This record gives sequence, structure tokens and C-alpha cells, in this order.
Amino acid sequence: MIIAARKLVKHFEIKGNSVFGKPLRLKAVDGVDIQVKEGEIVGVVGESGSGKSTLGRLLLRLLEPTDGVVLFNISDDVLAKYDFYIENGELDRAAAIEKDYSIFLKKGKKLREMRKDMNIIFQDPYSSLDPRLNVLDVIKEPIQATGYMDSDAAFDRCMQLLDEVGLPKDFAYRYPHELSGGQKQRVAIARGIATLPKFIVLDEPSSALDVSVQAQILTLLRGIREKYNIGMLIITHNIAVISYMSDQVNVMYAGKIVESGPKRDIILNPVHPYTIALISAVPGKMIKSNRIILKGDTPNLVDPPSGCVFHPRCPMAFDICGWTTDEIMVDMIFLVYDKYADKFSDETVVSISTNNSLIVSKADEKKLVEIINLEKGRMKSLMAIDRVEKYENGAELKIKQYQVPKMYKHDGRLVSCLLYAAGDQKP
Amino acid sequence: MEYTLNVLNIKEQFYTRRGIYKALNGVDLQLKKGEILGLAGESGCGKTTLGLAIIGLVPRNAAIIEGEVLINGRDLIAPLREYASRNSKKFNFRKSENIIKKLNQQLASIRGSMISMVFQDPMTSLNPVLRIGFQISETLVTHQPEMLAKRKLARSRVTDIDLRDMLELLKNGADEKAIRVFTESKGLQGIEEQVLNIWSRSDLGEAKKEKMIVSLRSTKLGSFERAILNGVKDRRGMGGWMKIPGLSRLPKSILFKEGYRKAVELISTLEVPNPEEVVKMYPHELSGGMRQRIIIAIALANNPELVIMDEPTSALDVTVQAQILELMRHLKQRFNTSFILISHDLSVLSEVCDRIAIMYGGRIVEVAETDMIFKKPLHPYTTMLISAVPTFQTTEIKGISGAVPDMRDPPDGCMFNPRCPYVMEKCKIVNPHLGEVEQDHSVACYLYGD
Repeated sequence: MIIAARKLVKHFEIKGNSVFGKPLRLKAVDGVDIQVKEGEIVGVVGESGSGKSTLGRLLLRLLEPTDGVVLFNISDDVLAKYDFYIENGELDRAAAIEKDYSIFLKKGKKLREMRKDMNIIFQDPYSSLDPRLNVLDVIKEPIQATGYMDSDAAFDRCMQLLDEVGLPKDFAYRYPHELSGGQKQRVAIARGIATLPKFIVLDEPSSALDVSVQAQILTLLRGIREKYNIGMLIITHNIAVISYMSDQVNVMYAGKIVESGPKRDIILNPVHPYTIALISAVPGKMIKSNRIILKGDTPNLVDPPSGCVFHPRCPMAFDICGWTTDEIMVDMIFLVYDKYADKFSDETVVSISTNNSLIVSKADEKKLVEIINLEKGRMKSLMAIDRVEKYENGAELKIKQYQVPKMYKHDGRLVSCLLYAAGDQKP
Repeated sequence: MEYTLNVLNIKEQFYTRRGIYKALNGVDLQLKKGEILGLAGESGCGKTTLGLAIIGLVPRNAAIIEGEVLINGRDLIAPLREYASRNSKKFNFRKSENIIKKLNQQLASIRGSMISMVFQDPMTSLNPVLRIGFQISETLVTHQPEMLAKRKLARSRVTDIDLRDMLELLKNGADEKAIRVFTESKGLQGIEEQVLNIWSRSDLGEAKKEKMIVSLRSTKLGSFERAILNGVKDRRGMGGWMKIPGLSRLPKSILFKEGYRKAVELISTLEVPNPEEVVKMYPHELSGGMRQRIIIAIALANNPELVIMDEPTSALDVTVQAQILELMRHLKQRFNTSFILISHDLSVLSEVCDRIAIMYGGRIVEVAETDMIFKKPLHPYTTMLISAVPTFQTTEIKGISGAVPDMRDPPDGCMFNPRCPYVMEKCKIVNPHLGEVEQDHSVACYLYGD
């Protein structure tokens, strides 16, 4: 593996939002495992705000993580050993491996050495190039800063790189404002591969470009991969780009990877409800059958949903997906005060009593059961109601304990959904 | 054939410091009633400029030197064209600005009521310091004050028995027409849409709906207010005497309050959850998809003939984009409005459009029905544009070499000739005109005859 992340966590602190001075935390990346082999293109796809760019930056140590490790240039045997140690709780042995390979423990000269082997290409070529440097200086900068080559050799290398990315040599003395978007992105790519890194993060490499130019850039990137065997992590919201570029696909949602596996399996036969919806939402004539339209928006990551993060929007959610009393209360209030207002007295009050029970005062529990059974199909949260008991002059709704999904192995991929928990084979 | 929109040979130029930029070079476009037309092309091919020219939004350095935009037979941009044709040699920014100012005044009654526009970025096209309800009712109060007044008056005049009768009719499966006939016989125009809207809402239970319909009747309306509302007429705006500062406050505040009620109805048809809460919110409290719905609601508020949507989904996520596209399909059936949908993404257009027009270099190079564009693209540019988009099936994508021409110094003949693989001698001399090669399939290319 050129790079492997284990249980990577990044929480951003948001200032001044809480009452007692405890800062709120935005859980941008929350326990992510990902790995990239030599010469492999791994795709990360997700909606905006799902934490995919943060993940890319963590893998290059452009951000310091809250928790977790990123192991760089680690052989498969050592990584397997590491996973084994972690699983069996032999933490000191695992720590020894971390010491050698973790990018977060590297310092000084070693860190600079490592920087040579990794790079990033940003989304917006208009702002990622320094307007005061000409193309030659832009490309030369990483070569000299990492000590990859000296000044004279660097010049030749730049010319070679310009040729590589399909720009004429006289572009070397032009400034970024003289170039079109596609040409700028070519310069950014030349800078990205200048030191022949082993690993590149492509953060939305084509989304600021026109379709005709996007095709050229993607073809160029694929050519570079073939030629130099560079491991790439491509981050994008465009599933068609992922399906064209990558070998492995990771689908991210609200800071977590929900499905991960070979491209062919995931694109043609997705199993996680979110992936299914995401792929069916792609516009185009090709796949019009059974489109799933998700309701609502991506969750607020300061206070993400409990259990499975996707459960409030999930069309297949069931009783133990993570429903809490708060969510059920919202729906019960709607039922009691709005939809079935004629069946309850005006004095009926819905309130939360404990962590796993709700109280509906002054209501007939038989009526409640009837309504709950009737509405279960439409309001998934009601499925989590285990039983209804009589309580004083009202009723008490007991709620089932939810489960947090892990990554389960299913049909050649890893999927984080309780639907596939039963058929899990130990990886 | 009667067209809602008829654009005839429109040519627009921008006078810049580095020469004359020829943005539109003779665009012809026809749009039937209730049709959705897609406008596609690379950036810099004049899609947005065309959209803006149709509703007469031009910067002061722009000159429309030729062409007409006819909406239901009315020529919108005549003053601009006349000025530009008189002063083709020496263009004066100051004078042009004055002409545009006058044009804006003339078009104020048309923009938002006959034609409206949805802009690309939902994050910036709402006013951050005004409530959602205010922004929707603003357009209603400006263009249809009479309708709002009628609604309010109808509510004060209606009796409980009338409402119960209507409820009874609805419960027995009466359709829109029956209710309309009923309200007309009672002289209560304006109440029917309120009743029907509550009845057709899917997010409420039957008991709640009944309660809401019965509680529509309002008793609080003084004789003074009634007199004011009776005086509100569409043509004269608020009525002459109400333009006096201070005095205009009263009718306006009544109408805006009514506008909020109408706004709730509008956004509930656009599947916004909790519409009663949402109208009281500010834009920053809503997500991107919700904001785009609000903007669409504002555009549709006055039942316009034509709505121009400039990249309505480009700033949104895929799943939200799917929601909005689904919504547009519903709107097409519900309102009998024509849409122009501008996008660089052909696959988005293929979802909702009846016809697609491909633009290049300020001209339309191909127009056909959506299926035909994908099944049998004729123009080389269309073919290349389609094959450049990666899809799930493609293993090979091809970019189009070269770049969009600099329109300050466009190539002679066909604009696409420097990038075209089938270029002939003829292409470099004279521009091919857009001709119909098959039924409803026009293309501007010499490969298919002159």
C-alpha cells in the first residue's frame, strides 16, 4: 500500500456557540479507513459537506488529525500485521509499526523527504497558481523546495514536464492570467507530478472546467498514471468521472465511508441505500428506471444523527437504524396535533420521559397503537416503537435500542449498513 | 403557429477596450406554449447572454444591433435596437445607459409577470436581510395587487355555511371547476384557490385540513380597510392617491400580509416542508435546495408565460439536483408555462427538456427534440460534445481540441471550422444557415446541404 489510513478522525472546533463555553465540534471526518495501492486510482465520491476534501488533506498531512493514523509506503505484510495487532489489542507492537510508517510522527528532514513523494492537485486552477510566478517558476518550486533536483536540472525537467502535459515550451515564461482554464489545470498537473511522487490527491480536478476540456484533462491524468504508476486518490462529486477514472470507489456520507469496493461492483450494483440513491440521481437518459429521490438534505455535522448517519433520509430504514426519542417526538406531535387531531383531546401532551420512552398524556393507548401501525409505512421513525404501555391516564411508548453499523463484508465490498450485518463474514 | 416566444435573428455586441466582442451572431428561436427548451454549449458560447437579452437585461456597453424578441407578439427590445442601428459608428456609453434605464421602466410591468428568470446561484440571488415571505409577496404586490385584495375581501365575505358547502363538495370528489362555479355563483372569487390549495396539500391530515378551511373566514375587516382594498386595481398599481408617502403604508401592509398567505400556498406546491414556518425565515436558515425552490416560487408567482432558468441546478448536489429536476417535471404539468433551461450539462437537459438547442460562437448550430439530439446528432460539434461527457457506459472519452473562439476576432465562415474534423473550403468562407434537414431537426452545417 502506498498509503493506508486507519480510524482517521478530524473534528473542527467551532467557536462561541455553546452556552457553557465548551466549543462545538464539527465532525468532518469520523473514523475512516482507506487505502491506495501503487499505481491505483481510488475514487472518493460524496455530496458537498461529506468531508471528502478534508480526508484528502489529512492523507497528505496538510491538516493534523484529531485521531487516527495514516501509514505511508507500507508493504502489504506489515499492514496486515498492523491490522492484526490492533484487532487483538497488542497496542505496543502496533505503535512500533506506527513509529516507522505514520506520516504524523515524521519530523524535520524525514518529513521533507516524504513531501517529495506526495502532492495534491486542487480544484480551482484559477486560484491555485500564484499570479506573480510564471509557469516555469510554478513548476520549479516543488522541485527545488524538496531538494529533488538542483536549479539547472530543474529547468530541463520543467521543459520535459510541459511537453508531458501537452503544453508548448514557450509557455514557460507566461503568467497564469495568460492561460485558459484547461491550460492552467495542465500547469497544475505538471507541478503535481514534478517530483515524480508516489501518491497524488486530485481534489475535484475537473469540476471547474468545461466538458470538452474536462475530457482532455481526465485522459491526460489516466495517461500519467499508466506511465509513472502513481497512486491517485480522486475526490469528486461527479460519479461519472469516478466511474471513468478509478479502480476502487469509496462513497462518503457525513464524514463516514458507507460503501467501499471495486468500481465495477459499486457503480453497476450498489448495495448501500445511499449509494443506490446517489447513482440513480445522476441525470441522463441511460438509467431512468426506478429513480430514488431522497428527501431532505445532508445532515448537520455538528450534531450528526445517532446510529447510522443516513437513517433520517434512508428509504429502507428500519427499527434499529438509530431513531431517537427526539425524532419520534417530532413525528408523534405531527400525528397527535395535526393529522389525527380529531382523535385526541386538546389537552394531550407529548413529552420525552427517559432516554428510551415517550409519554403521551390523556390519550387512549389502543387508538395510539392503531395510528402507529397505520403510519409505520410512511413514517419510518415509528418502527422503532417497541411497545405501547398504559401510563397513568395516558400511554408510554417504549423505544428499541439502536445499533451503530460497522463495515460489513458483502458481495466483494465493504458496506456500512445494518441490512447486511447478518451475512457478514469476518474479514 | 402561435409562439409564446419568438426570437428573430438577434445580434448583440459588447464594446470593450480591446475591441468589439460579438456575443450573439444571429440567433433564431421559437418556443411553443408549455414547452421546455434546453440551451446547451460550452462556456463562452453565449447561452446566458441570450437568456439575459430575451428579458432585456443588457449591460451599458452592449448594443443589440439587429433582431427582435417577440413575447406574445410584443417586441421587447425595440428601443435598444433602434438606438444601436442609428449609432453603429460611434457608441456612447452614457446615452446607452439612458436608453437602458428607460427600457427598464417600460419592462418593469413585464418582468416578473410575463417573463421571469431564475439565476444560477441560489446562495446569492435572495436578499439576505428580508424574510422569505416578504420576497415572494413583493412580486405579488407589485404585479397582482388586485388579486391579493380580492382574496382578502372574499375571506371577509364568506360565511361558515359557504365553507362547509365547499368542503362537502370536495369530499364528494368535486374537481377544481365545480368549486370555481360555486364561488362564482356566490360572488366569492379569490376564495377558491385558498380552499383548493389547502385541500391538495399532502403533508396534512384530513382533520387538520378541514379545520384550516373552516377557519379561513375572517371577521376583522373595518370599513376603512374594505374601502382601501376595493380601490386596489392592477393597472393603476396601488391607485393614485395611495402613492402619497405615508398614506401608501396602509394598503401595502395589508397586501403584504395577504402576500404571506399566498406565499405559503405557493411554496407548499413546491414541496417545501412546513411552509408556514419557512415564510417567516431568512434565506440563511435554508439549505441550497430549499433556497432554489423559493427562487422558483418567486419566478412562478405571477403565472408567467416564460421562465428562463440559468443553470438552476449547477450549484447543487446530485441528490438535491434530482429533487429539483423532479419538481420541474411536476411544474411543467401543473402550470402551462414555457421554460428555457440553460445548462452546460447535456444530461441535465435530457431529463426535462422537450427540445434542445446547441449553441456555439453566439449561434444556434442545432435544434431538435431531446431524443433526436442524443440518438442522431448531426452537427459535428454536438457529436463531440456528447462524446466528451463521461457516463457509466463509456470507457473512452474524447475532448474537443482547441478552444472556444475569441469573439473579438471570430473566424470567418462557420465558427466551428478551426476545431471541426470535417472542415471543407466552403466552411471557411460563408457561415451556413440553420436549415431544417428533417422534420423538427435543424442544423447549421454544410455536411447536410446548404
